[in-house]
Amino acid sequence: MSPEAHAGASVALFLAHAVTLEEEAAERYDELADTMAVHHNEVAALFRRMAGYSRLHRDEALGRAAAEGDALPALRPWEFAWPSPESPESAALEYTHYLMDAHQALTLALAAERQAQAFYQQVADTTADSRVRALAGEFAEEEAEHARLLEDWLARHPPTPAQPKDDLDPPVAVD
Amino acid sequence: MNTAVVIRPKDYKSATKPVWCPGCGDFGVLNALTKTLAGLALAPAQVAVVSGIGCSSRLPAYTSVYGFHGVHGRALPVATGLAVARPDLTVIATGGDGDGFSIGGNHFLHACRRNVNLTYLVMDNAVYGMTKGQASPTSAADWAGSKLTPDGTGIAAFRPLEIALSAGAGFIARGFSGDPNALAGLLAEAIEYPGFAFLQVLSPCITYRPEQMEYKALVAAGFEPLADRNAAFRRLLTDDGFTTGLLYRAPVAAGGSALATAATPDDTASLAGIAREFTAARLHAANEHES
Repeated sequence: MSPEAHAGASVALFLAHAVTLEEEAAERYDELADTMAVHHNEVAALFRRMAGYSRLHRDEALGRAAAEGDALPALRPWEFAWPSPESPESAALEYTHYLMDAHQALTLALAAERQAQAFYQQVADTTADSRVRALAGEFAEEEAEHARLLEDWLARHPPTPAQPKDDLDPPVAVD
Repeated sequence: MNTAVVIRPKDYKSATKPVWCPGCGDFGVLNALTKTLAGLALAPAQVAVVSGIGCSSRLPAYTSVYGFHGVHGRALPVATGLAVARPDLTVIATGGDGDGFSIGGNHFLHACRRNVNLTYLVMDNAVYGMTKGQASPTSAADWAGSKLTPDGTGIAAFRPLEIALSAGAGFIARGFSGDPNALAGLLAEAIEYPGFAFLQVLSPCITYRPEQMEYKALVAAGFEPLADRNAAFRRLLTDDGFTTGLLYRAPVAAGGSALATAATPDDTASLAGIAREFTAARLHAANEHES
């Protein structure tokens, strides 16, 4: 939610955003996994794993909504108030490449998790509703935990030394 | 806020996985389209997506709605025929800048003139990607990224919004694949417009135009919807090519119908009857020619 939009948001409106954030994150990771699988890139498995984590988080948000007892509002895609063009945990499509390695994939995922953490933290810091504040703070901490996990994985997958990729079909050498 | 939406965006995606390059802007367009259809709660069986040839023209295969992957540059004639024959359907023509503005350029002009009720969504990356990176109608005159045109084409780029406005399109907008939620909103407006709606979408090709990865920093919402054609022309004089939003929406005639939307055809006509009419018309034309 944008700063002016979330100050008065209800728990149901906040959870509608949280569920969609996690759902769209999972769908983006699945999309990336599919594209990498098409190009026989092994980082597909990593993206698939990230999609699974996002779905777990989405289910948790849905569980909270059920516990609150409020029906979530059904927002149209353009009615969500995100601080960015896409929902915050959607990994940036434009920074993918069919030859990307594990370090690059993890870096992409880390940026997405940090954006989600920042979003939840911003809601927690600015909301006027104590229940939204508690939920958003909790979700922010979970995203921070995901980010720490990714940082550990990154340490185990250092950048690949600069070298020409074994590209059998270079795109710019055909004309 | 709509509380009746029950179909999710992913329900409009097929099981066929896109073969687009990872990072292709067309993924964002596909996501925007499925979000739009979900947002409007359109039944998949009531929607048809028609395309030509090119990377972006593969889009119908990745949806669960009716689709037709046709001939190069010919998405609009097929879509026009479909929209006239089945005005109950939501008809969306899609394709790229080469397919739509070069190979199909003539159809584009006349689709704008005819104002049949359909939406034309052009994914513009200013390059022929499927054939490996040649200059397209919307490439800048000095773009030298292809070995075929090492000094650029020297030809001024096609200006889709100006051409559409000149040719009489009633709904003209520009979106960005990197902002699929805003694009979905524009697309919803285009679909709901009762006439020909043209939507240019800046959709980066990261393989042959890697510099387009910077679009996110260049694109900005800025068009304010205009209903006055003269004002829209004046606005385009200062267009930088990266401004998004709804530029022009022609007033709709009283009663909600489009200015020149084709009349609903007689769906009781038989094929034999149509053949008789066609024969009679040919005979009439032949008689006039002889006289």
